[in-house]
Amino acid sequence: MNLAWDDALWALTALHIDPVGLRGIWLRAPHGPVRDEWLSMLHHLRPGVRRLPNNIDSERLLGGLDLSATLNSGRPVTQAGLLAQSDQSLLLAPMAERMASEAAAILAQVLDNGRVTPNGGGESQQACLGLVALDEALEDETPMAECLQERLGIWLDLRHLGRPEEASDEVLGLIGVLCSPDGEAEEERQTVLQRLRTLRLNDLQIQAITQMGLAMGIASLRGPLACVRLACVLAALRESDAVEDIDLGRAARLCLTPRATQLPAPPELEAPPEQAEEPQEPPPEEESAPPDPEPPSESPEDDALPQEMAELLLEAALATLPPDVLAQLANNHATRIQGGGQSRSGALRHSRSRGSPLPPRPGLPRQGARLHVLATLGHAAPLQKLRTPLASAYGAASRLAIRAEDFHIHRFAERTQTCLIFAIDASGSAALHRLAEAKGAVELLLAQSYARRDQVCVVGFRGTQAEVLLPPTKSLVRAKRSLAGLPGGGGTPLPHAMKLALELALQQRRLGVTPSLVMLCDGRANVSLQGSGGRSQALQETLSLAQAWRAQGLQSIWIDTSARPEPQAEQIALAMGARYVPLPQANSQRMAQVVQAATR
Amino acid sequence: MAIPFPFSAIVGQDEMKLAIQIVAIDPKVGGILALGDRGTGKSTAVRALADLLPPLQVVVGCRYGCDPASSAATCTDCASLKATGKRPKTETRPVPVVDLPLGASEDRVVGALDLEKALSQGVKAFSPGLLAQANRGFLYIDEVNLLEDHLVDLLIDVAASGENVVEREGLSVRHPARFVLVGSGNPEEGELRPQLLDRFGLSVEVRTPQDIDQRIAVIKRRDAFERDPQGFRDEWATQNDGLREHILKARKLLDKVKVGDDLLRLCAQLCQALGTDGLRAELTLMRACRSLAAMQGHKTATPAHLRTVAPMALRHRLRRNPLDDTGSGTRVDRALAEVLGT
Repeated sequence: MNLAWDDALWALTALHIDPVGLRGIWLRAPHGPVRDEWLSMLHHLRPGVRRLPNNIDSERLLGGLDLSATLNSGRPVTQAGLLAQSDQSLLLAPMAERMASEAAAILAQVLDNGRVTPNGGGESQQACLGLVALDEALEDETPMAECLQERLGIWLDLRHLGRPEEASDEVLGLIGVLCSPDGEAEEERQTVLQRLRTLRLNDLQIQAITQMGLAMGIASLRGPLACVRLACVLAALRESDAVEDIDLGRAARLCLTPRATQLPAPPELEAPPEQAEEPQEPPPEEESAPPDPEPPSESPEDDALPQEMAELLLEAALATLPPDVLAQLANNHATRIQGGGQSRSGALRHSRSRGSPLPPRPGLPRQGARLHVLATLGHAAPLQKLRTPLASAYGAASRLAIRAEDFHIHRFAERTQTCLIFAIDASGSAALHRLAEAKGAVELLLAQSYARRDQVCVVGFRGTQAEVLLPPTKSLVRAKRSLAGLPGGGGTPLPHAMKLALELALQQRRLGVTPSLVMLCDGRANVSLQGSGGRSQALQETLSLAQAWRAQGLQSIWIDTSARPEPQAEQIALAMGARYVPLPQANSQRMAQVVQAATR
Repeated sequence: MAIPFPFSAIVGQDEMKLAIQIVAIDPKVGGILALGDRGTGKSTAVRALADLLPPLQVVVGCRYGCDPASSAATCTDCASLKATGKRPKTETRPVPVVDLPLGASEDRVVGALDLEKALSQGVKAFSPGLLAQANRGFLYIDEVNLLEDHLVDLLIDVAASGENVVEREGLSVRHPARFVLVGSGNPEEGELRPQLLDRFGLSVEVRTPQDIDQRIAVIKRRDAFERDPQGFRDEWATQNDGLREHILKARKLLDKVKVGDDLLRLCAQLCQALGTDGLRAELTLMRACRSLAAMQGHKTATPAHLRTVAPMALRHRLRRNPLDDTGSGTRVDRALAEVLGT
């Protein structure tokens, strides 16, 4: 039996029992039968579960003044926000990957504190809740904001599950009981909660979980903590008096394995004590998969401690791992780095809530737009005479009559971010004399973009293909590191580099960032998109990609790194509408000046 | 208020705890910047800060929590009250530790027109924001390195002047906003502007404990806390009270602690060797030394105190070549060895 679906149902049931203690779940699954089935069960368990609309504004989230009711009644009417309304319950957040960073930050804070302060101040209200975050992000997209991921106890990835598989009768029976009509279901839940209060992990078990967390390279302690809690809930669900291995195994699969940044290495590969002490600091270079393709089946490294327990736990945890786990791990790591913890959803929306102010304009205060009171009153004032007869009919002659059409909203201009994409030719022809210089120039440029708070992104190409050495980031240290690790030699897969850069640029533009490309290459393309040699085909592909680049209206600069100006490079640069800069005897200082002048 | 995790129950994190105590004894040292990975308990430590601090005396009903004893830094209401010659009534409030959410709008931070009053009574009134709430307390920004630029600008200005000036939407309000800035974040995800860095007095690096026993202790205590927050707090109440008394005692001693010219000279030499700009670094060093001495019950600050606080006070102030990887901690250590001659 495939354990994934069974585990998913256990997770669901545990969430229903103890939403607050577990803080919620990060459910990664596309819209489809698997997720639908899971959600329909959730709705059966908790009929009234609230949804968090993606475009929610902070007023509605936090609560505060109900504007229309206030206008109607003429006295302040407050309403509780969605968070306070979801106290002691679950809150469903669809499309969590698109959640505005503002909402994500608020949610993260509420998950930490269990309190929410209404908009505009006032007494804070209790809001202890569990979040069911549905994340539909594809492999190459930025997942849900990292600050939220971190706080949700359970991580469940059902992306590889085609359809709901069979589950054990035990969990199905439990769900049946917990769904039953009348008061029975709630009674049952209370019984389980009662049992939960008495359940504890023994020292050995806590030790095993901690050790496993370390071995999997989970730096944060929130994962192991959630694991402890979940193990207790699962044991309580099984009507057991003590937490047993089966609970630990399940909890580890739901809380620890998905957080792993490394696989516990088999003892032959690495000396055990080292592994136990410093498995941390997954440096960004680890993006390439670790060398060992096979999940170790048994005997994780650990010294004198509860070896058997840890072994059992590890075995249980690895039981659900699909065979391509390493690729997934690497992938997971890459996507995690990409977003820098910020999921953005459209720079347009934000410009209504922050930035430098622009003149107000008519509009309704919703979806994050704020009412511009002065402009609204200003618009309403001259019309008062006209409206008085109507207002006095309501017996409120002295009050200001404001209609929906008077509403003005704030507008703000937000400075958009830019992202410099560096594509660096590290092929044999360039490596001979130019690579070091190119690196030096890029370092200088990095220092400048650091000063301007630009994002940078590095694509390197050599041999048969190009690769993203550094996804868009503001971190200089990482940019520099990725550069230092770039070796030279091999062919010039220019078409592939162009394609990759184009994709990156378009992706950045979707996020509201303005991309521009700095290409450092001699233009001697000799490896085609398929990875085979052949100058003419490679050139043809490059030219058509260059045209695509131009068609998108993207900014670019071509720095010719060949020893003498290369006509072919100039031709390509012309095709892509790039500014062509031949720098036969480039020194990095000069190169940096050129780029800076061009992108200013 | 939600029940915070008791400060004395925090495992490990010695540097962070030391920095918090130094600032609790003398808030003039400036804020704290805690850098490190997620889930290392940075926010737990910051939120537990209130444990260390005795409650404040404030003017009854004052929205800005003005100090009845102070004449300078008060809001306009309290100032006019004082002008009438009446003694304001006072109440005690816990020291505010205010969270600044990342996505906060400018309005929520600085305050804005009170919509409620504007619409229902047609009165132009000011509704205070987070800066007002944080007056005389602490303003905590989780993930400070992801903070929007315009909020950073705002904070830099207010943190320096101690006053929040609102000139917008037809409002013209100024009120005291003296707070200690506490930030936390993961430097891998973005850098901080040097101007903002400079507003933090001390910076600490937080790591997850790698020692398995420590990790187990963290998990056990945290689990116990989540099961029964109040019970857990009660268990640790004695230790917490002891700690608070210790801080109070140190505060009393603070003014008596001598910082000799020799030590000041060492501070200046150290800053010179590291090329930090301005006098802020020296001032912070001096205050941190004094605070640490008071904490340890000494009446004179010594080079040993300097050695302890120097990395925290200087690490983030080094004019840095963005491409030089050498950890700033190492550079401080090197300079320390040079100046103190060991």
